[in-house]
Amino acid sequence: MKHPTRRNLIKASLAGTLLGPYLGAPTLASEQPVTADLKGLVNGVSDDQIVLGTSAAFTGPSRSLGIELYRGAMAYFTHVNQNGGIHGRNIALKLYDDGYQPVPAVNNTMRLMLEDSVYALFGYVGTPTVTRVLPMLKKFQDRDFLLFFPFTGAQPQRELPYGEFAFNLRASYRQETAGLVENFLATGRDRIAVFYQADAYGRSGWAGVRAALAKHDLTMVGEATYTRGTKYTASLRAQAERLLEYSPQAIVCIGAYAACAAFLRDAVDAGLEVPIANLSFVGSENLLQLIRESQDNSERYTRWLVNSQVVPSYADLTFPAVSEYREFMREYDPAVPSEFKDDEYKKFETSFVSLEGFLNAKLLTEILRRLDETPTRDELDNAVFSLQDFDLGIGELVSFSPSRRQGLDRVYYTIVNDDRFEPLNDWDRAFS
Amino acid sequence: MRVSRLFQKTIFGIIALFGLIGISTSILSIYSVDAHLSKEYESNSKGIAKTIADASVDIILNRDLSSLQSLIDQFVEIQGISYIYITNENGEFLAHTFVPGIPREIMASNVNQIETVERQITGMGEFVEVGSPILAGVAGTVHIGMDLNLVSLKIQQAIGQQIYLISGIFFVGIFAAMWLVNLVSKPIDSLQNFAVQLAKQETTEEENESLLIRKDELGNLARLYLYFSSVSDDDKVGTTQTPTVQSS
Repeated sequence: MKHPTRRNLIKASLAGTLLGPYLGAPTLASEQPVTADLKGLVNGVSDDQIVLGTSAAFTGPSRSLGIELYRGAMAYFTHVNQNGGIHGRNIALKLYDDGYQPVPAVNNTMRLMLEDSVYALFGYVGTPTVTRVLPMLKKFQDRDFLLFFPFTGAQPQRELPYGEFAFNLRASYRQETAGLVENFLATGRDRIAVFYQADAYGRSGWAGVRAALAKHDLTMVGEATYTRGTKYTASLRAQAERLLEYSPQAIVCIGAYAACAAFLRDAVDAGLEVPIANLSFVGSENLLQLIRESQDNSERYTRWLVNSQVVPSYADLTFPAVSEYREFMREYDPAVPSEFKDDEYKKFETSFVSLEGFLNAKLLTEILRRLDETPTRDELDNAVFSLQDFDLGIGELVSFSPSRRQGLDRVYYTIVNDDRFEPLNDWDRAFS
Repeated sequence: MRVSRLFQKTIFGIIALFGLIGISTSILSIYSVDAHLSKEYESNSKGIAKTIADASVDIILNRDLSSLQSLIDQFVEIQGISYIYITNENGEFLAHTFVPGIPREIMASNVNQIETVERQITGMGEFVEVGSPILAGVAGTVHIGMDLNLVSLKIQQAIGQQIYLISGIFFVGIFAAMWLVNLVSKPIDSLQNFAVQLAKQETTEEENESLLIRKDELGNLARLYLYFSSVSDDDKVGTTQTPTVQSS
């Protein structure tokens, strides 16, 4: 592949800036489009905009994660923009697609930081992408760029040497995997195997399971891997049969929806009728949709599913933020970014991923509101640290400090009932 | 092109000599290229393994294993490297690039050894595996597997290029030799014809002027034949003009 030169990148960026509005550049929402206007930007801020930069998967087998996270965020940002913005400035996103691949993510980030000069990075998707982007934040630390609320629970952006350049909202994979392992052990299932994506994301979850089992002097009984980007149509029978040899009593999957749905299908078909857990990153609704649309008796497969989540159920209207989320999603119905539009893509009315995007946007908006009327990047840290016991509306207060760069810690567990995800309260009964 | 019988053996000898040179050079090239490239691949892989081992120390001791995985994922993109795995001092796999899982052959091997070994892995192929200790081995070991088929292919390509070159030189040499032999044999044919015609008294000096004015050995011989012919005709010595013979 020919790598873009700096000169070409500048040309591409200039062309995009000049032609973007005429070629259908990404807009904020279908009803009230606010195109990221890079003209007149000084450190990501102009007289009428604050421009945030995003590199995420908008194409490829994991596109739904990027699209739904974006849609959730846009539901909130559109509401903010329609109500006067932040000190009179609209919040706009400059989007790039990385297809959930590290090298494009690095190139996109270089453009966002060096050429587009956005205010901050927001809404990134994935561990293999974010872990490769973090060194760039350190390299250009004199420009005070920060990464806000990436859609990954991995450790590198939570600890040294890169932790100081990122803020996380969601619980970590360590917390998700520890919760899953503890609950499996509590129900007498101590033969736990892992199926994971062969990259940094998979390894992060694998390490979480390993650490959780080690606390009980246990080790995982077996493991199997798959290649990032594997589609649902692929056969994962080899992985299922490999794990079957270890006679696991539960399997923890660390992957994306297409591969995890394929594994669930092939594992159950191979006779692995044990609880199969997935982490929040999987994209629960997409996974369920793939199984439902491809299998006549989908319940045969989904009855073994247990997915951990880092946001509450979008059906739980007892939380004010969930009610707000549903209302904004219905009212604004954010569109798929126009340049990544795919007629085959079906938007989700509501989902765990878009709810997370919504909460990310809500918290970032609160942070931006705490800045003065001429915001600069170097003020962002203190604005974040000023959040103490902030009520996001999901029953868990959010606080940040130099030593605490993750807002939420709670992990929720869900199972499929009547073709939708519901909270899992009784682990014994669920898989008896 | 008709080659005189006198030089047919010479042509055959030249071809045989060129063939011998070509074959022996090819064999030597195959041996040296094979040895050189194999050593180079192994050396490069050992260098990469050492680089990963050095970079892994801090990650293993201080950071999350996803960083370690991210590190080896970048190196496995290098052409020729098929797999990388890192084990700790107890032989536990900390990170690897295998799909759909760690091969049984590797799980059954001594993962703490760092000697270069050749592996046949079911469903994957043949590999040369090199190792490098992390923190003198007390923190684990890095292993890199190179695709032996790819290495062989590269060697074959390099050898193929050498053989093409030698074959080209061989054929050019043969044609050049034939041309040069022809350059010599043609005037000899003319001299032979001249001598025969002279004996039959069917020729004149004018018809063979081109031969008689040559300043080389053939011209000397032609003039000598002409002289002997005239002596025989006159049956007297000294009545004809003595031919001019140039010493070479």
